[in-house]
Order: sequence, then C-alpha cells, then structure tokens
Amino acid sequence: MNRRKFFKLAGISAAGLTEKLITSADAAGIPSTKQFIGVLNDTTKCIGCRNCEKACSEVNGMQVPDIENDNALEKERVTDEKQLSVVNKYKTDKGTVYIKRQCMHCWQPACAAACLTNALHKTEEGPIIWRSDKCMGCRYCMVSCPFDIPKFEYQSWNPRILKCDMCWKRIQQGAIPACVEACPSEALMFGLKKDLMEIARTRIYKHPKDYVSHVYGEYEVGGASWLYLSSVPFEQLGFRTDLGNTPYPEYTKEFLYAVPAIILILPPLLYGLHHITEPEDSEKK
Amino acid sequence: MEITAKKGIKFIISELKPRGELFTPFNIITIPIIALGLIIVAYRFVNGLGSVTNQSQIFAWGLWKGFNVVTGVAFAAGAYIVTFMVYVLRIKKYHSIVKATVLNGFLSYVFYAGALILDLGRPWNIINPIIGNSFGFNSVLFLVAWHFMLYIIAQFVEFSPTIAEWLERKKAKKFLQSLTLGAVVFGITLSLLHQSGLGALFMMAKSKIHPLWYSEFLPILFLASSVPAGLSMVILEGTISRRVFKDLYPKHSSKHLYEEIVFGLAKGAALSLFIYYFFKAIIFIHGRHWSHITDMWGVWYFIEVFGFVLLPCIMYANGYKNRSIGLIRLASLITIVGIMLNRLNISVISFYWNNPNHYYPSWQEYIVALMVISIQIWVFRWVVTRMPVFKESHH
Amino acid sequence: MLESYVFVNIFETKGLEYMLILIFLVGFIIFLRYFEIHKQ
Repeated sequence: MNRRKFFKLAGISAAGLTEKLITSADAAGIPSTKQFIGVLNDTTKCIGCRNCEKACSEVNGMQVPDIENDNALEKERVTDEKQLSVVNKYKTDKGTVYIKRQCMHCWQPACAAACLTNALHKTEEGPIIWRSDKCMGCRYCMVSCPFDIPKFEYQSWNPRILKCDMCWKRIQQGAIPACVEACPSEALMFGLKKDLMEIARTRIYKHPKDYVSHVYGEYEVGGASWLYLSSVPFEQLGFRTDLGNTPYPEYTKEFLYAVPAIILILPPLLYGLHHITEPEDSEKK
Repeated sequence: MEITAKKGIKFIISELKPRGELFTPFNIITIPIIALGLIIVAYRFVNGLGSVTNQSQIFAWGLWKGFNVVTGVAFAAGAYIVTFMVYVLRIKKYHSIVKATVLNGFLSYVFYAGALILDLGRPWNIINPIIGNSFGFNSVLFLVAWHFMLYIIAQFVEFSPTIAEWLERKKAKKFLQSLTLGAVVFGITLSLLHQSGLGALFMMAKSKIHPLWYSEFLPILFLASSVPAGLSMVILEGTISRRVFKDLYPKHSSKHLYEEIVFGLAKGAALSLFIYYFFKAIIFIHGRHWSHITDMWGVWYFIEVFGFVLLPCIMYANGYKNRSIGLIRLASLITIVGIMLNRLNISVISFYWNNPNHYYPSWQEYIVALMVISIQIWVFRWVVTRMPVFKESHH
Repeated sequence: MLESYVFVNIFETKGLEYMLILIFLVGFIIFLRYFEIHKQ
C-alpha cells in the first residue's frame, strides 16, 4: 500500500465504516450509531485533469466527456442531467484553482426534507440517494436545494432526478467513490467526516499561508459530507458563502410542528363558536 | 331496482348534453384554448415536460405551479370564509351565496390539483404519499397534498345536499345536510393549514427568493392575504354570475339584499387588506429591508404593496361608505390582480431574480394554464345550469 | 456567521416593530370607526 492509497482511505482504515459510535450531533433526535462518511477536496492539490469527471460518467453510465480535447474548462459549468460532477477553473491572485462540483451531501438535506415520497433519502452513512419507485417528479427538491444539485430529465416521458450519490452502490460493496479512486493528485480523500475534519484542520494549522482558515462544508447549511480546502476565499471560487449555517429543514420545522397543534385546537374552537352563537330562543328550523 | 338504475343513467346522459347556445363569445374563445391545451398536454406526456415548457434545472417550478396551484388556491379561499360566517358564526345574511362559493372552491381545488398532476414528471407515482408506502412526513408538500385531497372531500360533502336536491333524493339530502357542520369545521381547519402551507413551501428557497418577498412569516402572509383574495373572488364571481346566469336566480331575489351582501364582503375585504398591509410593513422593518428598495425590485415591491394592497383597501372602504357597488367591483379586480402578482412574485418573478437566464413561460404554458381555468368555468356552468345552486333551498 | 466574531443585535428592529403595532392598533380603531359613522 502506497502513501496515496493510505490517504484515500484515511477514515476507513482508521475507524471503520460500521464502527458503533454514538454521535451527539442531533441532540433532539435519536442518535444514529453510524458516523457520516465524506470526501475532503483539497483544492490546492487539484491539477484540473478531470479524471474524476470521466470516472463519474463511466460509473453512472453516462456519456463520458472527452477530457483531453473538449476544452470544457474554458467556461464555468454546472452539473446537469448528463454529468453529475464537473470541474471548473478559476483564475485567482494565487494562481489557477480548480473546483470539482457535485452534491454536497448535507447533514440535514433540504432535498430529502422537501421530498413528499421519501424518494430522496439520506442514508445513515451520509450519502443522499434517489429511489425511482418512489419519486413522483414534483421537483420540490430542486426548488429547495441551496446548491441546485438535483437535476431533472426534462426531455423524457419517464424522467429521473439525477444527482451524485457518492457512489452509494460501490460504498456498500466496500469500494470508494469512483472520483476519489480516479484522482491522481491526492486532491480527493474519502473517509469519515470527523477524520477528514482532523486532516483538514491539521493542514490549515501547519500551512497557514497555503490555506484560508475555513473548511467549506464544515458548517454550511448545517454541515455537509463534502469538504473543501482552498488557498483563496471561497466566494472567489463560485461558492455561495451567504447560505448561513442553519440546516435548511429548520426553516419549515416550526410550521410543521404547528400543524398538529392547530388540528387539535381549531376544530373544537370552531365547534364551540358554533355552539355559543346559537340563538337563545333556539327556534327549530 | 333495475328500472331506477336505468332511469338514473338515462337522466345523467340527458343532463350531460350541452344546453343553450353553442356560439357564445365565451365558447368561441375557450373552445380553441381547450382543444389546443389538450393537444399540448398529450404532447407533454409523450415527449417530456421540456418539450412544451421553459422550466429548467434552476427554474424547476413554472407557471403551472406558480399560477394554477399557488395562486388559484388563494382565490378558492372564499369557501372557507363564507362557510365560517354562515355555519359557525350563523350570519344568515350570507346564506344565499354559500352554495355557489362552495362549488367554486370545490372545482378550483379539483382543477388545481389536476394542474399539479400535469406538472408532475412521474404522475403514476402520485399514489405513493397516499397509500402509505412512502410517507414523507418531513415535507410541507406532503402536508399540502393531503390537505388538498381531504379538503376536496370536505367541500364535496358541503356541496352534496345540492346534488341530492338535483337528483330529488330527499332522504339523502337530509342525511348529507347533517354532515355539513362537520365538513365545515374540518374544512376550515384544513384551509387555514394549507393556505399557510403554500407559503411554507417556499421557506426552503430562502437563498433564491428576493429578500423583499422572502420572509420567515411567509405562511402567515399567505394565510392573511387569502382572506381578501377569497372575498374579492366571491364578489367578482357573484358579479359575473348575476349577469350571465340572470335567469337562474329566483325571480323575487332582491337586488337590495344582494347588495347588502356585497357591502358586507367589501368591509371584510377592506379590514383584512388593512391587516395584511401592516403585516407587510412589520416584516419589512423586521427584515431590515430598506437596503433593498433602491433598485427596480424596490419599485416593483412598492407597486405591489401600495398599488395592489393599500389602494384596494381604501377603495373598498370608500365603496362601502359611499354605497358604490362599482367601486367595490373595481377594488375586487385590483385585489385579485394584486394577489396574483404577490404569488407569482414569490414563486416565479423574484425567484432567482439575479439570474441572467430568467424563466419566462412558453406560449404552451400560458395556453395550458388558461385551459385549466376554461374547463373549470365550463364545469361550473354545467353544474349551475342543472343544480339549484343560486336558488335558496327551503328547509 | 459563527466564525466572524462581531457584534450582532438580533433585536435591533423590535422597538420599531412595537411602534408600528401601536400605529396599527390606533389605525385599526380609526378604520373601524370610519365604517361605523356611516350607519348613523
């Protein structure tokens, strides 16, 4: 096992996927026994080779981009229904920076909270997956996702919602995400989020000049499984830094909590109103 | 038994046949719209949503959801307000408009839920959240969908005595009438929740809606504005119905009595608009929105708030005081346009306001949106020309 | 933002809101009076 391989498997080899740990993360809910997995993207190490894009398309059975000749880096792209992961090039005062984009796999995902059929499902391990037999194509997930990640096949009579699922099938078989495996420069690293955070923080402390003191995805919209390290402030790299740290489902939580209370209170109240407005002489109709 | 069943079927078939003139201006406009709309819908189910709509990966909800569903439901609010006044508060004055209003509400919901199906990518899975193999309890849309369904049932129960009267089933009518209060109480509760629920739908689009329109109080705003929206629609519907279906009203129906109803509704609309206006103002201050009012969006916002909330509020109040039916009708029209603007501002117009490739509905989307309304009016006409909707039923 | 340790007063506009509510209540009473006067 070479050094590269070791880094890629950082979390797994250290702690193991199925390790029984109680998280204190969600004090209100029932804590899961599984630790979230994630990927750390150290963008200072990315060379913009786009092998991750290629591997992603191959694994998901999509049209594989011609990474040598298509000059796709020249303009800023977003993921779409034909490609679930894209690399963008940004010219900054610290040189060229490449950013790989895909689903962030939020800790409290807006898409899964929005889904009225549980088609978008947050697994206990962290990856958010889509289940075709449940989805009715309402696209509320697309409206809700702060990163605009779920994509819809508008040109099909039988459309799917498409997004990165962190190679959930491969992970279940013990493999690592295809993009991580394809990365030749150690820019991508797969493991438990808590281990990845340790690595990320250590790098920031040890090389304060090479990194901005911020791990994108640690707290954004409540925290995500996909983490980014960068040499320049994230707003220069097309990241939204105005999303706040509140998990998105929190915005609808209070409304949903109020519903049972209203159903409990209102009918008796209305019936009571009907009762007390009864005319005193109570003339029979 | 067999004879009555046969008779019944014959009766239904004879009633299904159209009555009256075919070439009225309304028919000449709506028949091509409905025909074209149906073709577009068929085309959409074969070639996908993208073949007829301009909806995109960023603008996932377009005119069909933003106008037919989100806006239309606000206008159906008249039903819960009028049934509240008549059955809960026992205000007898409004009894003569209950049936038409409930019918209008019922049909609105049926057709707006229908419009929702047109917009679904995989409509065959629509039963999933109902039959229980995938309950998305965490979703506001789950709640709204269930409430739509239950409310349609509740409104059908509220309207069913009229159907029984039409079919001359006296015993059935008596039984169905005994269910009305329950349906009304249940219906009002559901209405309050899903009117506000439609606002709550957009809570998770926080980063996408212009800050002047996004607010954590969106559910309350939607609920508050559904009151003037519903009342205005009742006034407008009554105005049109009394003109178009003149012959269907009882001969001795007093014009004075009807005007008294309109004045009462106008007062309610004025007060509810006044409350809604202050709600808007408090949210404006609470959200510290004054930094956003310097550009075109600020102007647009103030046009909505002053021109379509405060102005009709004053007009309603003035119309009530000066006993001017004309002014009240104009106010109802302005309120309706204003509510449309507000709902579309949130769901479409200010959605990703800063995106250079903003969504504009395609002509097909407009046609289908109009088709839904046209069919609804056709069905409304079919029902009122057959069932005793405008006649005061004798107990 | 959590990481920028700067002073934030989340109740900054409360005073204005209460003022507005008082204006509303006074306005609402005046508005209701406006309807009532007609009746006489």
